[in-house]
Amino acid sequence: MIVFLTKRFATMVGTLLLISALTFFIIKLPPGDFLSNQIAELRSQGDAGAAARADFLIKQYGLDRPVWEQYLVWMGAMPGSNGYSGLLQGDWGWSFEYDKPVNEVVGDALWLTLLLNLATVAFVHIVAIPIAIYSARRQYSLGDYAFTLLGYIGLAMPSFLLALILLYYMNRWFGISIGGLYDSRYANEPWTPDKIKSLLQHLIVPTLVIGLSGTAAMIRRMRANLLDELSKQYYVTAKAKGLPPTKALLKYPFRMALNPFVSDIGNLLPHLVSGSVLVSLVMSLPTVGPILLAALKSQDQFLAGFILMFVAVLTVVGMLISDLLLAWLDPRIRLGQR
Amino acid sequence: MTRLPPCLNRPLTRRAFARAGLGAASLALLARGAQAQSALGPSTMPLPSHWVETPFFQKLVEEGKLPPIADRLPQQPLVVDLKARGREIGKQGGDIITLAARARDLRYFSAIAYNRLVGYDEKLVLRPDILESVDNQDDRVITLHLRRGHRWSDGHPFTAEDFRYWWEDAALNKALFPAGPPIFMMIDGQLPTFTVVDEVTVRYEWHRPNPRFLPTLALPRDPMIYRPAHYMKQFHSRYSDAEALAQAAARAKLKSWAALHNRMDDMFENSNPDIPTLGPWKIMNASPATRFVFQRNPYYHRVDEAGQQLPYTDKVIVDIASAGLFPAKANAGEVDFLARGLSMPDIPVLKEGEKAQGYRTLLWPIARGSQVALYPNLTVSDPVWRKLNRDVRFRRALSLGIDRHTINNAIFFGLGQEGNNTVREGSAMFEPDFRTRYGIYDPEAANALLDEIGLTERRGDGTRLLSDGRPLEIVVEVDGEGGMTVDTLQLLVEFWREIGVGLFIKPQDINVLRNRAYAGLPVMVAGFGLDNAIPTAEMLPSELAPIFQDNFAWPKWGQYIETKGKNGEACDVQEAQRLLTLYITWLSTADEAEQAKIWKEMLSNHADQQWSIGTVADALQPIILRDGLKNFPVKALYSWDPTSLVGIYRVDEVYWDKAERRVAQAL
Repeated sequence: MIVFLTKRFATMVGTLLLISALTFFIIKLPPGDFLSNQIAELRSQGDAGAAARADFLIKQYGLDRPVWEQYLVWMGAMPGSNGYSGLLQGDWGWSFEYDKPVNEVVGDALWLTLLLNLATVAFVHIVAIPIAIYSARRQYSLGDYAFTLLGYIGLAMPSFLLALILLYYMNRWFGISIGGLYDSRYANEPWTPDKIKSLLQHLIVPTLVIGLSGTAAMIRRMRANLLDELSKQYYVTAKAKGLPPTKALLKYPFRMALNPFVSDIGNLLPHLVSGSVLVSLVMSLPTVGPILLAALKSQDQFLAGFILMFVAVLTVVGMLISDLLLAWLDPRIRLGQR
Repeated sequence: MTRLPPCLNRPLTRRAFARAGLGAASLALLARGAQAQSALGPSTMPLPSHWVETPFFQKLVEEGKLPPIADRLPQQPLVVDLKARGREIGKQGGDIITLAARARDLRYFSAIAYNRLVGYDEKLVLRPDILESVDNQDDRVITLHLRRGHRWSDGHPFTAEDFRYWWEDAALNKALFPAGPPIFMMIDGQLPTFTVVDEVTVRYEWHRPNPRFLPTLALPRDPMIYRPAHYMKQFHSRYSDAEALAQAAARAKLKSWAALHNRMDDMFENSNPDIPTLGPWKIMNASPATRFVFQRNPYYHRVDEAGQQLPYTDKVIVDIASAGLFPAKANAGEVDFLARGLSMPDIPVLKEGEKAQGYRTLLWPIARGSQVALYPNLTVSDPVWRKLNRDVRFRRALSLGIDRHTINNAIFFGLGQEGNNTVREGSAMFEPDFRTRYGIYDPEAANALLDEIGLTERRGDGTRLLSDGRPLEIVVEVDGEGGMTVDTLQLLVEFWREIGVGLFIKPQDINVLRNRAYAGLPVMVAGFGLDNAIPTAEMLPSELAPIFQDNFAWPKWGQYIETKGKNGEACDVQEAQRLLTLYITWLSTADEAEQAKIWKEMLSNHADQQWSIGTVADALQPIILRDGLKNFPVKALYSWDPTSLVGIYRVDEVYWDKAERRVAQAL
């Protein structure tokens, strides 16, 4: 186990280094850089004065150096300007757009993103698992068909369209303000019960919208997995020996059917941070997704780079966790034994 | 504003009163004759008999935390003449809620809350605003008179020192302005002589007229030739301890004191709540936030005739929401006022919510040369395309091949102005011929022109062939965000097929598009037409000359001028060189009649040469106005330059007519 873990860590570090290089160079691929684009934009709005400051800033952020040098500075292998030490030293860099250290920019959005996506994940599991069990037990019943139909609609409906429709009607019927994660009147206020209530109200639509397609997919997979297990001998035997059907189902087939979902945890973790970008954009949610998109568009390189790296780290860690969990969950999986 | 000393009696120039069917904004185009000379002098409005304390500050004044109103105002406040402009004396109080797409867009608030040293009024006459008056001798010696007793929003006096600080300690400081002072301060690369006459008078003197100086001060992007010296000095190495500054810079993760100075110095961007302002409202909180609050400035220099200090509304609240939600939020009644960020396709959604939510959607024409204009790239790298784009017959043919009437009906509800990319009817520079020369639909003439060039070879489907055998298929590159532009181009595909020209639309990110244009890659770009379509003779004709690289007709020529010959290419097309000569002539003259003549020749040159191909102008800008907000025009012109979005219509005079309406849904 120790050997396995050390090996895993070594590959993880290698993978992350590779990812960091790739992300940085891809961010830098489009022509121009943040400041020159910024200046062009300002000038096209008649702000010639902005150009005067350009050289000043470009030098200050080292944007006039070659890309590989900028990458090394970012990683912390080379000294940067403004006392910037680099990722490996725990300095996540500077956001040009917000004129703030990256951690300050991302920090605010991060926990709201976690909240939203956790709510979504919870919603998906709470809704999907019971429905899947029902559908598998009563295959080809009316209920099964009804859920299947609903599921397909959920899969087929573009989420941003659903978001807009729901936003509109939630506002018309229940007076919930459009977009955001709470009513804007609470924006600069501490967390009072009223603000929390507003937050919960505003969570309904995004949770539904983001969760719907996930729910539909999960129902289908869970149902298929369960159907596989339900025809197996051990289950038939268990029922024949007189185990009550529910207990018989939950004890073994259900556990086996969970396997694919456990291996999905690796994907779930990064999703908690970077998921639902489109819906967040449409609904104007103050989450990490829109920040990442804006950063990529404006080539706010350290901010975009940091978010992508963060997601990469979460993916790699998630994979490790799901491997360990699988080993614990399913006795048939053994590590390192051929 | 005159450019002649008063001793020269000059007859009044012809006035052009072209009515564009706009009440409030009928641009009564005063040529700057004897009448306008007084425009830069002190205001003739009498002072009110007494001052009314602002309710919002009543408590603070009683507690002694704020001086009473009489001590807060300058000796000569600007008394606004509401009645003369068909407005009413309003009531103080209440908040206005509006939206912005991101914190960086708060800069536009400075354009909307228009206050300038000298600013345009609704008739586009330049008048003193923050200044009490201006003495102008031939645009060469310009003396600015401040208002005695005028104070910054923190109560500190606003004096000549603030001008001196910006000029001597900032603009001329190589650490802060590595490229030297802003270009409009110079003539032939020579700096003005700056003199502090006394604490409320400063003088700039050039060796030749600098007609750029005063109009630049009134631009939507205020160049701000003054700074709150008492605040900025704490970040300046000349006035503060170098050691402490270095530490402060390091704390802010900045390299030098200059970087820190630049960071704090953002009067226009509204990102630093600490810097004092002279504007009507002052920002109270910094980003990141989802809601920004602007609160009234107790020392603001404008008052009404009843002795009430402006602005009428106490706060402007800006909520941050993604631009895509603007129409939905307006439709749900969540905004009191909103203009920037809405566009023509949103109108049905906006109209739908009016009754239920109690607001109105005003529809203002956008004063642009053309809502969608095509720019054949004269500096494209491909030699075959370059030769063709530079052939005036080709450009004229493309223009004659556009059925603008159909575009107008299909996309602009039939309300637009069809024709070239030129100034608008109502500008003194306008002539009907500028709009229509080669700007009509005549496919036969277009085909004849293309045949004359020698593009007679055709492919099986009727598409003409280029001289090297490639099909004549133009890839028009366009900013992916511009929905109306893409819609218009899709109609163009059909029109140009009739004249044997293929068209492909390539939407992309605007930054990528610009960088491609600088590199000479696009054959043609589609974008907005002239920004300023209602110019007066004193405004700079810079959009018409090949001097900017972000003009898609000639990126490399512009580059050449902007980099002083280091990059790009020198302009080598005679007709475009003429534009350059005219522009330089404009810059060196103080005679307004001559400037008007230059404007007209440049516009005529543009119509004749079709440097850009216009389609339809006068798209509509929807503006949301909550019922109960008064003193805002029902119809006027909307633009960036010169109206500063809605700035010149003076939003500080907007008020809530009933007290109960004032309690915005906020707070």
